[in-house]
Amino acid sequence: MNKSKKIFSGMWHNALLILLAVMMLLPFTWIFSTSLRLPKDSFKFPPNFLPTSFHFENYTTVFQTFPFLNFIFNSLFVGIVAGIFNIIVTTMAAFAFARIRFKGRGPLFVIFLAGLMIPMQATIIPTFIIMSKVKLVGTLWALIIPAMITPLSIFLVRQFMMTIPKSYEEAAYMDGANRFLIYLKIILPMSKSVIIMTSLINFLFNWNNFMGPLIYLSDWEKMTIPIGLRMLQGYQGTGSISVIFAGVFMSIVPALLLYLFGQKYLVKGAAISGLKS
Amino acid sequence: MTKKISVFKKKQRWDNISGYLFLSPALIAFVIFIAIPIIMTLVLPLFNYNLILPAEFVGLDNFKDFFADEDMAIVFGNTSKFLLILTPMHCILGLILAYMVQRVKHTALRNIFRGVIYFPSIVTTASVAIAFTYMFSTDSGFINYYLRQLGLNNVPWLTDSNMVYVTIAIFSFWKFIGTTFLYYFIGLNNIPESYYESARIDGAGPVQIFTRITVPLVTPVIFFVVIITTIGVFQIFNEPYFITNGGPGVSTTTVALKIYRVAFQQNNIGYGATVALGLFILIMMVTVIQYLMQNKWVVYDYE
Repeated sequence: MNKSKKIFSGMWHNALLILLAVMMLLPFTWIFSTSLRLPKDSFKFPPNFLPTSFHFENYTTVFQTFPFLNFIFNSLFVGIVAGIFNIIVTTMAAFAFARIRFKGRGPLFVIFLAGLMIPMQATIIPTFIIMSKVKLVGTLWALIIPAMITPLSIFLVRQFMMTIPKSYEEAAYMDGANRFLIYLKIILPMSKSVIIMTSLINFLFNWNNFMGPLIYLSDWEKMTIPIGLRMLQGYQGTGSISVIFAGVFMSIVPALLLYLFGQKYLVKGAAISGLKS
Repeated sequence: MTKKISVFKKKQRWDNISGYLFLSPALIAFVIFIAIPIIMTLVLPLFNYNLILPAEFVGLDNFKDFFADEDMAIVFGNTSKFLLILTPMHCILGLILAYMVQRVKHTALRNIFRGVIYFPSIVTTASVAIAFTYMFSTDSGFINYYLRQLGLNNVPWLTDSNMVYVTIAIFSFWKFIGTTFLYYFIGLNNIPESYYESARIDGAGPVQIFTRITVPLVTPVIFFVVIITTIGVFQIFNEPYFITNGGPGVSTTTVALKIYRVAFQQNNIGYGATVALGLFILIMMVTVIQYLMQNKWVVYDYE
C-alpha cells in the first residue's frame, strides 16, 4: 500500500466515525434546542438542531405544573440512600469473599454469581408481594431496600480486592489490628476506585429505573423522574413538546455530570468485569 | 506440635465466624430479595392470587392456560425476534466500532469518539425514548421530513408491525451500542501491538487483520458480551413500552411487558408468575447452551 493511499483510507475511516458521532449527538442537541423553543415552533421544518430561541419559561412551566422538584429529590434520595446501603453490603461481602478463608466460601460465591443471571422480571412479582406485606408499596423504600444487593457489584469489588497484596494486612495484624479495622482502614481506602465505579453504575441504574417506580409508586409526590416524565408526556400531549423536552433534558443533566466526572472509573469497571469473565 | 495445630484450628474457627459476620448483610439481602423470590416464582404459578383475596390453590391450571394462550406464542415469539435482531447487532457492530475507534491514531480524537459512542448508554432510557417517538412520528417527525426531501414516501416507523422492529433496532443501537463497544474497546487494548505490526509486514489489509487477528484474540470478550446482551435483550421492556406501547396490536409486546400487564395491571399474580417462570427457564436454557458451546469457539489462552 503506498503512502497517499494510506492517508486516504485513514481519512475515510475518520470521516465515517465523525459522521456517526455527529448522528449520535444530534438527538441530544435537538432535545435541548427544542426545549428552549415556543411549543408552536417545535414542529417547524426543516428542523433546527441548534437553539434558535431561549424560552427558559418552558423549564419553569415544568416546575409549576408538576412537582418536578419532588421528582428530582425522590430520584436523588433513592439513588443516594440505596447507594450507601449498597456500598456497605457490597464491600463487606466482597471483603469476606476476597480476604477471609471460611468454610463454604467457594459454593456461596458461585451461588451469588448465579444471581447475576436472574432476570428482574423473575423476582419482581414476589418482591412486590414481600413489599406489600411489610406495607412499603407506595413508598420510596420499596425501591431502596431491594437495591441493597447487586451481585455484579459484589463480583467487581471482590475481583479488585483479590489483587491487593496480602502483605498489607499481615503488617497490620502484627500491629494488633483486628479484621474490622483492616477492612475499614486498609482494604476500603485501597479499593476506592472500584467502589466509586460500582456506585456510579448503581446510581445510574436507580436513576434510570423505570419498571420499579412504575409498579411501586402511585402518588405524584412520591414519583421519581422517569415515571414523572411519563406522566408529563401523557398530561401535556403532543401540543407542548417543548415543556416535555425541558423535563427530558433535566433528566439527562445528572447523567452527563456523573459521566464527565466518572468516565475513567466506568472504563476501569468494564475492564475488571470484561477480562475476568 | 499440638499447640501449633490448636492455634491453627482456632484461627480457622475465627475465620469462619468473621467470614460469615462480614457476609451476613449480603446473605440476608440475598435470601430475601433473590432466593425467596426465586422459590416463590416456582410456587406462585400453582395459585390464583390478586393481592387482596387469599391465594387459591389451582394446581396446574395456570400452566394449562399458559400453553393454550395464543398471545403467549406471539409474545415469546416477539421477544425471540428481538433476540435474533438485537443480540447479533450489538455483538457484531460493537466489535467493528471498537476496532475502528481503536485504530484512530490521534489520541484526543479517539477519546472523543469513545466518549460520544458510550454516552447514550448511561442516560435515562425512558426520557430519550420519549424523544425518539417524536423524531420517528410519521407526519410530524423530522426523520420522515428528510426522507420526503429525498423524494421518498413517509415510512410508518411506529405503526407498521414490521417497521417498528427496525425503529426499535435503531433506537437500541443508538442507546446501547456504547455498552458492548466499551467492553470490546478494553479487550482490544490488551492485544499487543506487535501482533498487528507483524501482520502488516506480511501484507495484511485492515479487513484481513480484523478477521484473522482481532476476532480470534478477543473470543473470550465476545463470549462475555454475547451472554450479557442475551440476558439483557430477554428482559426488553422500556423500548416497547415507550416507543410502541407493545403495538401495533401485540406485535411488539415482549414477555417482560406481558408480565407487567398480567401481574400488575390485571392483578393476576399467579398467571404473571407463570409467564415469569417461563422467561426464567428460557434464559437459563439459552445461557447453559451458550456455556456448553463456548469451548467450540472461545480460546482463553494463546500462549
